Amino acid sequence: MSLNEVRENTDAIIKELKGDARFISRITSIGLTPGCRVSIIKNDKNRPVLLYSRDTMIAVNRRECAGILVSEVKA
Amino acid sequence: MSAATIALLGQPNSGKSTLFNALTGLRQHVGNWPGKTVEKKEGSFSYQGKDYNVADLPGSYSMSANSDEEVITRDFIASGKADVVCILTDSSQLERSLFMLADYAGISVPCFLILNMADVAKDQGKKIDAASIEKKLGIPVMLFSATDKNAYDQFYKTMERAIKEKTMLNVSALEQEYEKVDGYSEICETLSDTVIPGYTPMWLTVKAMEQDKVVTAKLRNTLPDSTQKTVETLVNQSQGAIATGGCKFAWIDSILDGAVSESRTKVKLGKLDRIYTHKFFGKPAVVLTVLLGLIASFIPALPVMGIGSGVDALNAVVRSSMVEAGTSVFLTGLLCDVLIQSLSYVIKMLGFVFGVTLIFGLLEEVGIMARISYVFDNTMGKLGLQGKSVMPFLVSFGCTMGGAAGARVIDNWGQKVLTIALAWAVPCGAAWAIIPMLSTVFFGAGAPLVIVALLLTMLLHMWLTAKIFGRGLVKTEDKCGMIMELPPYHKPKWGSLMRYVFGRTKDTFFRVVKVVLLVCGIFWLLSYGGTSGDSSVLEKIGLAIEPVTKLVGLPWQLFVAFIASSVGKEGAIGVISALYSGGSVGTVFTEAMSGGATAANLNELLLANVARPKALAFIFAITFNLPCVVALAATYQEIHSVKWTAKIAAYYTVTALLLSCIAYHVGLLIW
Repeated sequence: MSLNEVRENTDAIIKELKGDARFISRITSIGLTPGCRVSIIKNDKNRPVLLYSRDTMIAVNRRECAGILVSEVKA
Repeated sequence: MSAATIALLGQPNSGKSTLFNALTGLRQHVGNWPGKTVEKKEGSFSYQGKDYNVADLPGSYSMSANSDEEVITRDFIASGKADVVCILTDSSQLERSLFMLADYAGISVPCFLILNMADVAKDQGKKIDAASIEKKLGIPVMLFSATDKNAYDQFYKTMERAIKEKTMLNVSALEQEYEKVDGYSEICETLSDTVIPGYTPMWLTVKAMEQDKVVTAKLRNTLPDSTQKTVETLVNQSQGAIATGGCKFAWIDSILDGAVSESRTKVKLGKLDRIYTHKFFGKPAVVLTVLLGLIASFIPALPVMGIGSGVDALNAVVRSSMVEAGTSVFLTGLLCDVLIQSLSYVIKMLGFVFGVTLIFGLLEEVGIMARISYVFDNTMGKLGLQGKSVMPFLVSFGCTMGGAAGARVIDNWGQKVLTIALAWAVPCGAAWAIIPMLSTVFFGAGAPLVIVALLLTMLLHMWLTAKIFGRGLVKTEDKCGMIMELPPYHKPKWGSLMRYVFGRTKDTFFRVVKVVLLVCGIFWLLSYGGTSGDSSVLEKIGLAIEPVTKLVGLPWQLFVAFIASSVGKEGAIGVISALYSGGSVGTVFTEAMSGGATAANLNELLLANVARPKALAFIFAITFNLPCVVALAATYQEIHSVKWTAKIAAYYTVTALLLSCIAYHVGLLIW
């Protein structure tokens, strides 16, 4: 599943990043790399997804989220 | 001759600007990088009798070639213009913000590391052992809080140590990580003899693997064809940026291992953030925040505006004493109508700029602006802008000059120019003071309809203007969706903020005065009727081109008022009043600048002389004309480009006449 499909208040692990070199570079530089655990804080339609990872609250546009494939972590 | 040049490097929200302002105070200069649409900030400071230069490098998240900012930053560093690079990280988010250091590793310029926002980290219960990090990195490392006055002495000492010892980052542990990646060693071997000044083979290899456009092109130019082919094949087989990114974070983990202890708690959004990020209440909360900010801006603005009124009062005194002394009308006019009047006008407006810079600089510094960006990212993204752009738009309903000043929180130059260009379409307070009045005189109960039509036209105008200017200003790569952090809220550094605000207000004042005096001087000369009541140049021009201006619905009196409204909208009514009540054009200028007195029977005058279609045309023309000469000057001050300021001004004059023409012909159909 991609990042924007993860429900609020669940954790997920990043499995794969899909996109051009520029996208990969941008998403990596903010700390989202494969194997990285993220907590989804907010996921409202028409708003960037709000997540918490590596001690940081990060907002990611929904379109860019489509290129971030994750698997949900069962609490 | 300065002792050394220090370059500040750090991700957004690492506190780089706060440090830059605190170090340089008023000794800073803001311009553009030659030939680039990227802002260049330089400054200087003295420590123990020695002068140092500081370059605040454009902020971004990495050292890749994703944007002009990033390319400029690394070219500046690699060129050796800086003796030492000060890398800033956020202590409260060390793991993520050290990425900049990892990406820097391999550039052969001395550096030191500042773990900024130590106070925030401490509040979060984090303990950081800077000495242990320093041992692993081989460069000076210090915990720092840019808002703490007492921390600066330690900062200077750390900086001097880095300069004196030319401390280089120890990258061997990072290189070991890279060596685990398929293809790295082979490419690095091939590149071992490749010399691109400032960069080590390791750095070049990593960037080649990340398919960095600039590095790839540079290698293509330097390497022989066969080697070039080998490298390309190896790069294509490798996992690229994903693998190297993994290495960088693995290295960061090993650096932080044992150096950071924290009491992990489950993250929750604070009360304020729960409101800002709320599905329904988020947008109203942001609009309310900006409007409250706008109102708050008037508090620091009032004393300055008071000074402006004081200068105005001086005007009458000077004028009467000059008349008494028998000074020529020309000289009196030049001094009173141009110099003093303009100064008073500029100072009044400047008060607002001071307030807006302070309040919105504060919102930026404490972290609220990032929330505004988040909430409006989607909406503003459609115009090719950042979410933050909503703030200058809202401020412009009060004053376009304030909107332009507020746009400085937008960190991308092209998006900043586009934001200001669109903000001009928002009718400002002065327009709101005259439009409802004019509409009521001519259209009675239909006035609200006119206002709705104006607001709809404004939205259409902004959308079209975004299309027209967007292509040249906002590159496709900057249009990509938001990937940004929401920094934790933190206390502002008042001293640094105030110095910055005073510095900017002072700069704005001098630049604006220059432009305003020039424009007003020309305008005054054009409208000067001489002593014998001859018709002025402006009147002659107005009459000469009346056949043309009539096509857009403006007889010469209204056209002169339209031209006057580009100096100041509040004056437009005074100008019409003067012209239709038989006054001379010579008074036009004074009317435009002072918001002049209107004839008592203005309503009858207007109704007797202006037909409804022409009135509608005039309302549209002045609403969408360029806001005022001060806003024009402020725009120039913010975007540092004569070309773009002139382009926007010309565009607004033409579109205002075009809209006037449309309104006139629609009016002719109705009435």
